[in-house]
Amino acid sequence: MLEIKNIHKSFGKNEILKGVDLKIDKGDVVVILGPSGSGKTTLLRCINFLERADQGSASFGEVTVDLKTASKKEVLAIRKKTAFVFQNYSLFNNKTALENVAEGLIIGRKVLKHDAYEISKKALDKVGLSEKYDSYPIQLSGGQQQRVGIARAVALNPDIILFDEPTSALDPELVGEVLQVMKEIAKEGTTMLVVTHEMGFAKDVANKVIFMDGGNIVEEGTPHEIFITPKEDRTRRFLRRVLPGEYDFEI
Amino acid sequence: MDSSFLNMEFLIDTFFVALSGVPVALLVTVVAMAIALPVGFFLALTRINEIPVLNWFTKIYVSFVRGTPIIIQIFVLYSVIPLILSGIFEKYHIDYPVYDINPLWYAFIIFSFNTAAILVEVFRSALKTVSQGQLEAAYSVGLTSSQAYRRIIIPQMLVTALPNLCTATINLIKATSLGYAISLQEITLKAKVAANVGYNYLEAYIDIFIVYMILCMTVEYLFKLFEKRLSRYKYTTA
Ligand SMILES: Nc1ncnc2c1ncn2[C@@H]1O[C@H](COP(=O)(O)OP(=O)(O)OP(=O)(O)O)[C@@H](O)[C@H]1O
Ligand SMILES: [Mg+2]
Repeated sequence: MLEIKNIHKSFGKNEILKGVDLKIDKGDVVVILGPSGSGKTTLLRCINFLERADQGSASFGEVTVDLKTASKKEVLAIRKKTAFVFQNYSLFNNKTALENVAEGLIIGRKVLKHDAYEISKKALDKVGLSEKYDSYPIQLSGGQQQRVGIARAVALNPDIILFDEPTSALDPELVGEVLQVMKEIAKEGTTMLVVTHEMGFAKDVANKVIFMDGGNIVEEGTPHEIFITPKEDRTRRFLRRVLPGEYDFEI
Repeated sequence: MDSSFLNMEFLIDTFFVALSGVPVALLVTVVAMAIALPVGFFLALTRINEIPVLNWFTKIYVSFVRGTPIIIQIFVLYSVIPLILSGIFEKYHIDYPVYDINPLWYAFIIFSFNTAAILVEVFRSALKTVSQGQLEAAYSVGLTSSQAYRRIIIPQMLVTALPNLCTATINLIKATSLGYAISLQEITLKAKVAANVGYNYLEAYIDIFIVYMILCMTVEYLFKLFEKRLSRYKYTTA
């Protein structure tokens, strides 16, 4: 359903993505793991045109666009097939929770106001914020804000939702509620591409795990393949570092 | 001969003379603001986004305006504009006496020129307070740049900018008093002309003082009201 081919991206002389290929089917939950600076965020941003790739293409179903040369119209079209959940929520501070969720429907997708609010209320109910329709972001906890962020993405009913470390800005006690919501929307068949350091989520929810390092995909497979029988040294070293005690591979 | 310190009758009469200059002062303020707001905002964007040539031009323009007294800017523009205009008029064979142009037009140009530069800095610092993340979030839900600015960035930017916009407006109103230098029929000039007759300068100055004070306090009050309305999202409590 989504196929990314050969993404390259440099910042100045630093080559951050060195030809990444990615294939995601409908209903997949794909988790990207990798050390800091390996290009995970940059990859997601290039897919959503928040960053312009230097090379590469993306196909959504029949539609294929060049990630470097896409026109404004193509960019808008791709953005309407995707949604993004940001590490630091990035809610619209001048809008209530409900308005945050409805904004993309009303303005971006030209849904009638009344219908947009109905859809948005349902999305907020789904993430457990029925009581908070009229709250502004500053009145919400981090976990609640991120749940609004997820509702904002879900309401758009996109082909795929991109998550960039959705829980890493949260206080530890708030991580659970957000992961729970993500688990539920995954169960409903939402296609998700998730960058996270939450290994539990990767093991339990993902059907595909990708390990990235140095701008390349080093290894990909089922959670079992990556966590139990990793083939690459770099993958093993990474897992031993992030899950100390659980892994004692021979190197 | 009345021996009191102030000529009360003159004081009161001249108050209304000064008041009759208010429409011109306000007209200049409103027109200058109407031009300076979009221009200042646009130029602030060229600075923030580091648009090649414009960014550099804006920087010089802002330093020039901020680094020179308004009265000098008035004198410079008041002598340069007619020169440019007479050149243009000559080229296109327009038969219009350049030196008969109403000083009001000069006032519009001069004060727009000055205020736009001030607003570049006001908008630039205000834009920086709205996180880049919100702009990206707006893009990610399918908004275009202009929709994102209109609906998300500008409303928040305005709240931060409002106190400085208020100051800029008040400074502009007060600066219109320098219009006397180009014979603009505004508050200060009108009252001073009235005072010339009987040398009642003190009375005239008191009148001028009061008129500006009423004007500026009213403007400040209006801005406060507006600020309260715009910033609801910041102060609501859970
Ligand atoms: N706009 C930018 N300009 C210059 N360098 C950048 C920019 N964005 C990212 N980089 C660099 O690109 C590299 C990869 O960044 P990226 O954010 O994609 O890594 P990441 O895998 O998401 O890491 P983390 O786990 O820390 O979030 C980093 O070294 C970063 O400094
Ligand atoms: Mg990152």
